[in-house]
Amino acid sequence: MNSRSTPSAETESELIAAAQQGDRQAFGELVRRHRAGVINVVYRMCGDAHVAEDAAQEAFIRAWQHLPRYRPRSPFRNWVYRIATNAAVDVLRREKETVDIDTLPLVASNGGPEAAMEGHERNERVQQAVLALPPASRAVLVLREYEALSYREIAETLDIPIGTVMSRLNYARNRLRESLAPYLEVL
Amino acid sequence: MNKHVTAWLGAYHDGELQGGRLRQVEAHLAECAACRAELEGLRALTELVREIPAAAEVTPPERFVAQVGLRLPRRPEQPAWRRALELGWRLTPFGLLGAWAFVQAVFVMAEVVMFALRLGLGGDAAAALLPTPQTGSGLSELLSRPVAGLNDVGRVVVRLMNHGGPLGWGIILNLAALAVIGVLYWSWLATWWVRRQRQER
Repeated sequence: MNSRSTPSAETESELIAAAQQGDRQAFGELVRRHRAGVINVVYRMCGDAHVAEDAAQEAFIRAWQHLPRYRPRSPFRNWVYRIATNAAVDVLRREKETVDIDTLPLVASNGGPEAAMEGHERNERVQQAVLALPPASRAVLVLREYEALSYREIAETLDIPIGTVMSRLNYARNRLRESLAPYLEVL
Repeated sequence: MNKHVTAWLGAYHDGELQGGRLRQVEAHLAECAACRAELEGLRALTELVREIPAAAEVTPPERFVAQVGLRLPRRPEQPAWRRALELGWRLTPFGLLGAWAFVQAVFVMAEVVMFALRLGLGGDAAAALLPTPQTGSGLSELLSRPVAGLNDVGRVVVRLMNHGGPLGWGIILNLAALAVIGVLYWSWLATWWVRRQRQER
């Protein structure tokens, strides 16, 4: 084990280099830093918080296995997101039924129970509409809308051309605007 | 009014447009109510989609990290032959550089020896080594002579250097060796690049 005093003080590249040499503590710190983002990406892809955590763990284990081959030309986050997206697609393949609306938390609201119910219902519909998108378009939408990745970063993460990022995003948004038209008029 | 810019509105909304395209879209939006409405629709959609809350925390962060740590498999050790192969692969460019330096050194040395012989510094040996009009000039004739010892090998090399048309066999051999080294180096470089691309996937 390396003689590190505070793992959080180390730069990401130092942690990656140590983890590539087999330092599990350094990899643990990387997991800690990227846990929320990876879980979020998978959750937006599959719509179930429990499944998302399992898939996120799977993604980190794959990352550990492939880490010796990682080259820091693209950010580590994008690399892990790519693995997470693939893990989410595998989960979706295994489980056809992905929408578990019971796991969706209620939205915090100041408008009382009725407003909360409305918000809850609207979020359900939006979540279902997102989950109804084809996985390829959904992945682009999730990385853009929830992780705020640039088109170039999305292209790197999913290993597709920028033109494809744009067309998939346009497709996803057009589909969502059709299926969510009633909610968009209210806004 | 210009053509609608619907195809670029998504990229504009995401802040991905630059330069002339950005100015074109902005100029069009200033005068086109339909495209402005389209853009508003995109903004409303983003707002709506982002309202979905993030995943509820099922496992506390530290427990999640610990669970991942427990599931991490041991990385398989690379076998010794594989490590040796990898080391050899990494040292290939240096080997090729050494080969190139060796070829150049031999070529320069041979030229120096030839120059010295022509100046008559070699005495009788020079006469025996340097080509004469009676001596056959073909490569087959040179190579077909029996080679008894090291002196004869040197003689064949010097004769080769002296024959072979306007360039001389020395230069031809030198160029051939450089071509082979060059092809090997570029092949190595191409393979290295392909491997790197594959690793980054």
